[in-house]
Amino acid sequence: MADEFDLEALVHLEQTFYDAGYTDGFAHGRIHGLIEGRALGREKGFEIWEEIGFYEGFAITWQAIYAKHGHNDQRAMHHIKHLLDLVSQFPQINPSTAAIASGATEEIDISKLQRQIRSRYKALCASLGIKPTLRAVDAESTEDGGIQSADQQKQVWKLEEDAKRPTMQGLSF
Amino acid sequence: MDSPWEEDPRADYAPEADWAKLSNEFTNSGYREGIIAGKESALQEGFDAGFAHVGVPIGRDLGSMRGIISAITSFLSSKGQEDSTTLTTAREISSSLAGVRFSDIVPVDQEAEQHAREHLDANGDPIGQSEELLQKREMEGLEDMVQRLTAGATK
Repeated sequence: MADEFDLEALVHLEQTFYDAGYTDGFAHGRIHGLIEGRALGREKGFEIWEEIGFYEGFAITWQAIYAKHGHNDQRAMHHIKHLLDLVSQFPQINPSTAAIASGATEEIDISKLQRQIRSRYKALCASLGIKPTLRAVDAESTEDGGIQSADQQKQVWKLEEDAKRPTMQGLSF
Repeated sequence: MDSPWEEDPRADYAPEADWAKLSNEFTNSGYREGIIAGKESALQEGFDAGFAHVGVPIGRDLGSMRGIISAITSFLSSKGQEDSTTLTTAREISSSLAGVRFSDIVPVDQEAEQHAREHLDANGDPIGQSEELLQKREMEGLEDMVQRLTAGATK
């Protein structure tokens, strides 16, 4: 035993131990949070942009075909132009971060944009005389039925899945 | 008894064992709480990073390729070249692309691998994977198995 005590330290002894543990645990937890968050974010980003990318590639290719063959279908060209324009507006980073970073109050309505893109794609297909791929049909079938409910969840990708799980899952130390 | 110094001759009153127990108990409980808080503090950050730097660019590339081949296929068939080899090739490319899954092309999360190695002595739980994603992987494994079975049957 030391001959000398910092009485303060002794009084807060438990707190001191706890805090030291907490600091270490927090650092370790962050690593796990980042890893798990990344895994989820990758999936979500892929899922969303795989679809948007499809429309983009589709439109660009038809644009090129028309340019080469001198086709002059104004209606299809119009749809292509608008489709590409909508795609270019679609966010490539999670809007929640974008909004915080820029401090912007202006919110991008993702699901609206997504619907517009899908229906523009379908319109393009119709003017080309092509059957649209199933993904657009499936996705729209639930949404075509009239007014979109206003309380549809905010389209900012949060990690709600994670809240449902027991927190300690997969954490070992 | 005002003196802050330990003058009590029964100094062995708090032996080392007690000290260690106290230390462990509080350090561990702090660690437990800390790991949860730390994890929660970083989830969104990780999500956004994975979203923007990995998921979106890869999804866009793959989707784009699928869109391109879809346009080419429909263009060729609209020209009435039903049995041209070009169209057949386009269809083949299209179906190959349709079989590509994210898990087939996603790069390894180096940091996750590294950290998993550090955990190797633990119970072997794959880390950085949510329950939901694990289930998805499992389903994909089954799909692959069925695919192989049907492929074998038609050969």
